[in-house]
Amino acid sequence: MKSRAIAIGIFWAALLAVLAWRAPGFFEFANLRDIAVTNAPALIVAMGMTVVIIAGQIDVSVGSQFAVASVLAGTLAKAGVPLPLTALLTAFAGMLFGCLNGALVTALGVPSIVATLAAMAFWRELLRWYTQGAWVQGLPAGFQWMGLGQAQGEFAILTATVLLFAALVRAMRNLQAGRAVYAIGSQRESARLAGIPVNGISFGVFMLLGALTGLAALLDSVRFSEVQSSAGAGLELKAISAVVIGGTSITGGKGNLWGTLLGASVLAVIAPALTFLGINAFWEKAIQGGIILGAIVLERVTSQRRSK
Amino acid sequence: MRLVENRAGSERALIGLILLEIAIFAVTGPNFFSAANAFEVVRLGVELGLLALALTPVIVTGGIDLSVGSMMGLCAVVFGYLWRDLHFPIAVAAACTLLAGLAGGALNAIVITRFGGAPLIVTLGTYSLFRGIAEGLTRGVDNFSQFPASFLYLGQGYLGGILPAQAPVFLLFGAFYWLLLHRSIYGRAIRAIGFAAEGARWAGIPVNRRLALVYTLSGFTAAVASLIYVAHLGQARSDAGTGYELLAITAVVLGGTEIMGGRGSIWGTLLGLSAIVVLQNGLRVSAFPAELAGILTSAILVATIAIGKLQWRAAPVSEGIEEDEMKNSQLAVLSAVILAGSLIVAGSNWWLVQSVRPGSMPTGAAPATATKRYTLAVMPKAKGDPYFVSCRAGAEEAAKQLGADLIWDGPTDLDPAKQNEVVEAWITRGVEAISVAVVNAPGLSTVLRKARAKGIKVLTWDADAEPDARDYFVNQATPEGIGETLADEANRIMGGEGDFAIITGALTAANQNEWIKFIKARIVAKYPRLNLITIRPSDDDRNRAFSEAQTLMKVYPKMKLIMAISAPAVPGAAEAVKQSGRKDVKVTGLSLPNMCKPYVKAGIAESVVLWNTGNLGYLVVQASEMAAEGTLKPGVTSIEAGRLGRIGIDGSQVVLGKPLVFTRANIDQYDF
Amino acid sequence: MNLLEARGIEKRYGGVRALKHVSFDLRAGEVHAIVGENGAGKSTLIRILTGAVQADAGTVTLDGQTLLHNSPHRSRQLGIAAIYQQPAIFPDLTVAENIALVNEPGGLLRRIDWQARRATAKELLDAIGADIEPERIAGTLSMPEQQIVEIAKALGGNVRVLILDEPTASLTERETKKLFGIIARLRERGAGIVYISHRLEELSRIADRITVLRDGETIDTRQAAEVDVRTLIRLMAGRDLSAVFPKREVPIGEPVLRVNGLHCAEAGIRNITFEVRAGEILGFAGLVGAGRTQLAETLFGLTPPESGTISIAGQAIEIRKPEDAIRAGIAYVPEDRRRHGIVGELPVRANSTLAILNRIASGPLLQMAAERTLAESWVAKLGVKTDGIDAPANSLSGGNQQKVAIARWIATEPRVLILDEPTQGIDVGAKAECHRIMCDLAEAGLAIVMISSELAEILGMSDRVAVMRGGEITGISGRSEATAESILGMALPA
Repeated sequence: MKSRAIAIGIFWAALLAVLAWRAPGFFEFANLRDIAVTNAPALIVAMGMTVVIIAGQIDVSVGSQFAVASVLAGTLAKAGVPLPLTALLTAFAGMLFGCLNGALVTALGVPSIVATLAAMAFWRELLRWYTQGAWVQGLPAGFQWMGLGQAQGEFAILTATVLLFAALVRAMRNLQAGRAVYAIGSQRESARLAGIPVNGISFGVFMLLGALTGLAALLDSVRFSEVQSSAGAGLELKAISAVVIGGTSITGGKGNLWGTLLGASVLAVIAPALTFLGINAFWEKAIQGGIILGAIVLERVTSQRRSK
Repeated sequence: MRLVENRAGSERALIGLILLEIAIFAVTGPNFFSAANAFEVVRLGVELGLLALALTPVIVTGGIDLSVGSMMGLCAVVFGYLWRDLHFPIAVAAACTLLAGLAGGALNAIVITRFGGAPLIVTLGTYSLFRGIAEGLTRGVDNFSQFPASFLYLGQGYLGGILPAQAPVFLLFGAFYWLLLHRSIYGRAIRAIGFAAEGARWAGIPVNRRLALVYTLSGFTAAVASLIYVAHLGQARSDAGTGYELLAITAVVLGGTEIMGGRGSIWGTLLGLSAIVVLQNGLRVSAFPAELAGILTSAILVATIAIGKLQWRAAPVSEGIEEDEMKNSQLAVLSAVILAGSLIVAGSNWWLVQSVRPGSMPTGAAPATATKRYTLAVMPKAKGDPYFVSCRAGAEEAAKQLGADLIWDGPTDLDPAKQNEVVEAWITRGVEAISVAVVNAPGLSTVLRKARAKGIKVLTWDADAEPDARDYFVNQATPEGIGETLADEANRIMGGEGDFAIITGALTAANQNEWIKFIKARIVAKYPRLNLITIRPSDDDRNRAFSEAQTLMKVYPKMKLIMAISAPAVPGAAEAVKQSGRKDVKVTGLSLPNMCKPYVKAGIAESVVLWNTGNLGYLVVQASEMAAEGTLKPGVTSIEAGRLGRIGIDGSQVVLGKPLVFTRANIDQYDF
Repeated sequence: MNLLEARGIEKRYGGVRALKHVSFDLRAGEVHAIVGENGAGKSTLIRILTGAVQADAGTVTLDGQTLLHNSPHRSRQLGIAAIYQQPAIFPDLTVAENIALVNEPGGLLRRIDWQARRATAKELLDAIGADIEPERIAGTLSMPEQQIVEIAKALGGNVRVLILDEPTASLTERETKKLFGIIARLRERGAGIVYISHRLEELSRIADRITVLRDGETIDTRQAAEVDVRTLIRLMAGRDLSAVFPKREVPIGEPVLRVNGLHCAEAGIRNITFEVRAGEILGFAGLVGAGRTQLAETLFGLTPPESGTISIAGQAIEIRKPEDAIRAGIAYVPEDRRRHGIVGELPVRANSTLAILNRIASGPLLQMAAERTLAESWVAKLGVKTDGIDAPANSLSGGNQQKVAIARWIATEPRVLILDEPTQGIDVGAKAECHRIMCDLAEAGLAIVMISSELAEILGMSDRVAVMRGGEITGISGRSEATAESILGMALPA
């Protein structure tokens, strides 16, 4: 799986080289900062997704969770709830969505792809029914940028993302809980024999992803002065793609967050890179799909070469 | 063997569910319980059903294929291209399309078997790849239509005047997949692979070849589904089949196929499919909100599986699943399905008698004493779109004033196929007037003609269908008018010269592409010093428009204007300009005043172009009421439209007026 | 007082009564061996002792305290550690982590000290003299190496009761000695050791008492010093050895399978040369990991050979995949019955015909009636005890599952039948029947390759015995020359 990350790394370096050659403006601080701020929420979701996939599960409902959490954040803020409390409640709500998925998977034994497929449609349609597509408008002035102003707000979002990333990297590496996630993804039965609470951890990873999704929804919403109700469409595929491109094994046990960071960066850069390079936007999806397939093929080729 | 009974039990539960759905909708949905509707349900289920059939063996091997929906899009485009641009005979084009499907399926198969990719990831990749190639080939815009009638018959015709023409194709594939999975050596191998891939390999089964077979077949079947889809809608576009993969997987899993592989049956898939399609149709005929379909489907899915799992626990004896236990369980299924079918047909006679009685009351409401109470159905392009939400307010106001029953429903996302289904449901239900904001003219005109033939008044609004498919078009503003107004605004804001970029909705959105065409034409004709540098998509997502605008400003520092022509894109682009602190870039576009108010007031968005959406909705309902009661008929040159006063009729167009230009000066007067 | 005591343990699996009122006790500072044939209930008993499996009836006490709601985790905390035959490792994690995950105390929010982890692992591995880098990924270790990690893992905790299930099966002599040293130290500390082994001769070196299980029942418990190997075998088998192996002399014909200089790096086998004649049973002996199964998998096309020739009845054949092997008349009944031998969820009928789908079909379509007839006839011929041919294969007992697996391959009408551990984990009766079937097949002129880790079976059934070590054949001897000593001599590393 490492070789997949290497293959992507090579592609990534090549893309950056082309950009440096054809469009050096890409590397201006303002551009990199804007790309980072814009994609920070998706990265946070992908981080949680990494943990879920390492544990041998999957969650395709994050896009819908994200939308519900966004609207909830806006609604709370509009109702005059102070922002820190709004943030807390949003993350908590996300956690509850995650708990529901976790409960379906662990208590009822529904395979995670089915359970979260159902949750995906459920939350999205419920939200659509409730909002009828209306945006949350007329938010208090202190909502955008959490009242910090743009520069500091952006800094705060990036700082929060970096801190979360660092904390999660450390937790996955240095906390018994993180190692337990790897263990159950690697071999469930061995984990059970080793006394690791397999169901508890499985439940926990969904909960964590839910909370991170809620938080990401908040950090995304505060970049604007209005909350759109259709947020997060396609987010689940973006997050899963980032994780997988980053070399995490879809069957669990193997992978890490640095790979996900790489995967998310690649995906984040494609759209602006096409604009910078003057390539037509119509081919964007094809390029994304091509990268995933290319990574699989390259992985196989490099690992074969290495074994010879 | 107890679990065999359990499986039959879950099939019985599904049949029970379907019967329950039928029973409920027979009460709530006028004419739901009729032969014609039963066949309509069949028609609606065919494309989805083909995908579900193809996915059943895939999932039985323990794999998955997420690319089938995208494959439909790619095949539709390939077919259209071969036929229209390369002038292939229609049969040859169709054959080549099927080959393309085979090739796409084979690509999945090769990467999965030769390169050892996990099916979920591989098909996630081709999910993007196939759709991306389709969009790239057509530049998102191209729309192939005007297929010969003999081809359209496949999707729109009736055999013997009653059986939808695609039904035999579906039956053929159903039989084929049943034989494949339950009666062939391949099916046996597929099942063994699903239970234990290693065990199958150790038994000398060529595992990779069998896997390759199911994925290749899946691509092929998606190609067939795409041909039927194209024939059904009369047009081929790159967005065909969007989102179908998830619904098809849902149908398969609901039908009792184990997502981890091994267990599963074609019967189950057909039952799962029926449960979903009947639910969707019933909700529409009953005029329940479309969102309920997704909510109920997911609830049913989880409930079915959870019950199955709990039964497992209750009786943890391993199971003798098999293809061949036709005996009791499947005979029960078969007879129940037949029973249900005959009930529908028998019941239909009764409804027929009811409906031919003069002055039938579609909603069951008591006849009004003085004036008749009409049921007016109005469909937006997409339900959740804020633009259409704002139209709805006016529509409801008018319905209230007129004392009419308003059905406001439509697909939750832009999907011509779903618009078709909703119109079909309304025809079945029996309404007096149908007004549709048409996503795609060739795709919807056939069914609208059918509605007219049944004596229903048909209006279009927001975007027109083919002229002979409707009685009137409520024209808020022509695409030409919009394009010109936008170009004029651009010229005004930019002071007659400079670079500007367009941020559109989805690249495939027909409306926006139409406007862009007229914007370009106007610029060429009148403003040669304006330069359109690029067009970027926003997928109708505010945040995507935001990042696109950010990038545009950096790549094109001399750009003076961003023209956003999708409602959420204007605030997105304006926010990007605001955050950049640039004063030399302005935003204009087509959007709702409320969404853009802060930016217009701050002077970032110089202007927003739109008509009064509330008035549009109001006028649609007014006009359809008058059409229904017969006061709006050929020869009438104007109508009295409630609070809007006198509205002129131009031929078969009811014209709302010119688009409004909202600026800092007037935007506070509007609230929508 | 006894350290660990089990009283009246009962356990059923489906229709099979795996343990019948079994009792067992262990004193502090003693090594108590459990012996019995495969399927006698040893593994089930230790799984109940560790809480990995719950007993249907009976009690387990530690220091006189009854263990209620026992679980692997809880018993681990109480100081009961077990090493199973199948290593319970995490293939994606490092050796150090594999050891630590089981042993380190504390909750999920505890911080990990990687240095300490590595040091502990190194220490434990050094203590058993194993040369394994703590940083290696466990999945890349060989089976014996994984076994060693398991031992290190078990030693890591504060062990009071150590349960070893066939610990030396795959160890070298040097490692075995180290292990015995460790066991000696543990018993000095007052720990009790439950020791399960098929190597009866080593029991006198290590065990204090020996308990014999047969067919899920406790037959006897004796002082190790007082019993000899012959007595133990009689107790285990319940009859004399000769009766167990119904070997019949049949005329030996022409060579059928001839293998010359076979190499396969992927399978780890080198320079394999041998031949098997019609009617002959060639036994393959050797330690676990000696390459016997890998050889069989290479012959069957699962791991295609790199060089060397294979010929059937004088005709050279190329085998790249299992279909080639089947076409050439090679059939392989694999060692791991549940993973490879049968597809448990499929009915007996489908299992018995899985390798001959083409023969029960006309074109691509299955002939259901023909399949039923065929399956019925195999069930009758091999005496498979089942609820019917539609019963799922995993509802059958191990012996009957094995018969289904054999039926599948006899159905292909092979010329060479490779049987890998054909009687592992099945009861005595079924075992005898399997042996009878083998004799019948040999009589019908099949060339049979039988891989077995059970010396008695090798000696009792083979016409000739080939011994493998480290991926090579170290010697082939005729029935009359082969003895337990000579075979062990060739199998054990020099």
